[in-house]
Amino acid sequence: MTKYDLDDSGVVVIVGSGAGGGTLAHELVKRGVEVVLLEAGKHLTADDFVNDEWAGYEMLSWLDKRTASGTWRAAKDHPTAPSWSCQVVGGTTTHWSACCYRFIEDEFRAKTLYGEIPGTSLIDWPFTVADIAPYYELAEAKMGVTRTNGLPGLPANNNFKVMYAGGSKLGYNVSTGRHAINSIPYDGRPATIQDGFTITGDKTGARWSTLAVEIPRALATGKLELRPQSRVTFIEHDAAGKASAVVYVDAAGVTHRQKARAVVLAGNCIETSRLLLHSKSGRFTDGLANGYGHVGRHYLRHIIQTVWSIFDKPVYMHRGEIMGGMIDDFVRHDPARGFAGGYYIEMNSMGLPTTAAFLDPGWWGRDFVSVIEQYRNMAGIFMSGEDMPQPGNRVTLGDELDAFGVPVANLHYDDHPNDLKLRVHGYKTLSAIHAAAGAKRSIEAPSYPASHNLGSNRMAAKAEDGVLDGNGRAWEVPNLFIADGSTFSTGGACNPTLTIVALAIRQAEFMAGRMAAGEL
Amino acid sequence: MTETPMPTAYKDPKLPPPVELPEGPDWVGVLKVFDAHVAETLVVAARTLYPHQDLPERVYRRTVVAFDGLAAKMPAVAQGFAEFVDLVDGAMPVPFRELSESYRVNGLKAIEGTAAFRLVQRTTVRFLYDDIEVWQAFGYEGASAHLGGYVDRGFNDLDWLPEPPPGI
Repeated sequence: MTKYDLDDSGVVVIVGSGAGGGTLAHELVKRGVEVVLLEAGKHLTADDFVNDEWAGYEMLSWLDKRTASGTWRAAKDHPTAPSWSCQVVGGTTTHWSACCYRFIEDEFRAKTLYGEIPGTSLIDWPFTVADIAPYYELAEAKMGVTRTNGLPGLPANNNFKVMYAGGSKLGYNVSTGRHAINSIPYDGRPATIQDGFTITGDKTGARWSTLAVEIPRALATGKLELRPQSRVTFIEHDAAGKASAVVYVDAAGVTHRQKARAVVLAGNCIETSRLLLHSKSGRFTDGLANGYGHVGRHYLRHIIQTVWSIFDKPVYMHRGEIMGGMIDDFVRHDPARGFAGGYYIEMNSMGLPTTAAFLDPGWWGRDFVSVIEQYRNMAGIFMSGEDMPQPGNRVTLGDELDAFGVPVANLHYDDHPNDLKLRVHGYKTLSAIHAAAGAKRSIEAPSYPASHNLGSNRMAAKAEDGVLDGNGRAWEVPNLFIADGSTFSTGGACNPTLTIVALAIRQAEFMAGRMAAGEL
Repeated sequence: MTETPMPTAYKDPKLPPPVELPEGPDWVGVLKVFDAHVAETLVVAARTLYPHQDLPERVYRRTVVAFDGLAAKMPAVAQGFAEFVDLVDGAMPVPFRELSESYRVNGLKAIEGTAAFRLVQRTTVRFLYDDIEVWQAFGYEGASAHLGGYVDRGFNDLDWLPEPPPGI
């Protein structure tokens, strides 16, 4: 592997190797840019992964303590782990279930469309769907998204048959949806074997991840140095106010300082916001790029919830790809529903260990037992909907320090009335679909730890409205960029990864262009 | 309702097999931290929380062996389990593990808000439903990649609902 010197100030340093950072690294090195990619986690391979929910969780997750506050259920159910992401080369793309939906045109102009909603801090995105559409196409081709580029959809599995029976009876538009999982061999990777363990790492490479696709190809160019087990603790700047170096601790506990031409943070919402807030200086007294106080604010996590239902006969929902089902009838904003924004209905399945853990944390006794004993007759249906940005929903730093001397992050989230209206509407729809398929009983499960973490360092058309410009560049630090879901101006309804990848491709083009012009 | 037999459950071959325990009261011999009273009280608590009629005692014992493993690694967790036993034993003139079911249930309800209860309840869910004998009992098949996944082993074999159109 190519090695760069710690004093080489010609490299772009990317922090985080997931959907944003891993893709950006590949897209930059393809354009001849020299990149150092720092990842806090280990470099595992497909052979290391296990088909086991808890062992996989413990192998891949970011398990450092966080704290939580606010009215959201996560503060009660998961008070030290309210948000969920991975700490491993490939980031959360080692875990994701690969749903790939595009934001629709309306979602890029939420403020204009929804109008004034008290308590929210809605803005429009600083660009339109037309600006991002070409990058969505590149992302879909790169990721091998089903139902694009002539690739067939995933085949119907047992859980989908339940969703289809209920949804079609109610007149909804039901399909297996679009996923970055090979339904047929594509791009040198095999078709899925339907093992049902996309969430614990992918043992065959049927599903796109930066671990399986972007990072090996980036390494092959000779322009990338990947440094796993490198825990970034601070971003430094020079006298001109430009980011100049990244301080990190290696696996042996030794601290290093990597100089940089430009710095890109891609550590998921919580870690990216935490690093910015922690990187205080005489010039940036409230943290880097935080002159208007937006760093960590407007945190979004989507309206995510699952309904689990019991049927008379076996489903075996754990067999096959876990989220291969989609209904798009509720995606568009429709004021007649009484709330702003929309939601996707998707399929969900879990094994017995996590079904038991997330069905309703804290639930015990004979009623719980009577439900979980019927695991094999259970089906799952899920939704992802738009939540409202609120300035008080935010990442802050607490007094407690972690093992690296960085303050532990607190995540505060209060449910907005609009969020609660959307939740109720969604639960009713999900339960109605299963009822139409013959469900004997449905359980409305609450959100599990937030995995669609968005918005906390948002892009905005004006510096006073957000941390970043429309290219994901900090308004106040011209060579500092962000390439994760924290850049989203608003959350939209769909799973965010496809958009993160599209934005990373677009950002690489912008950065390489500025570098070629001598401006970065 | 006619019962079709449960399919076979598998743990990932890279993971260790379940711990082997003697059938009698000697099972407590494998424990590193808990004494027999603490261990038996936690077994009764786990069964009171999740009273599966047909599950054998050994799955609850294995759950408590997992508690013991955590307690051996983390002193604060060991203290939490000890506090739980003190709390439930102190509530009645009879030790918790000798109480009838309604008194056990009411005793647990009375301490639901405590950290010690939360530790025992969450940790029971974490380990009881991760036991392969429980998987087998409830129809969860577990690991599949080492068997070629479910692509040829029933991922789409549900036959009691109409078949969706091809390519849907």
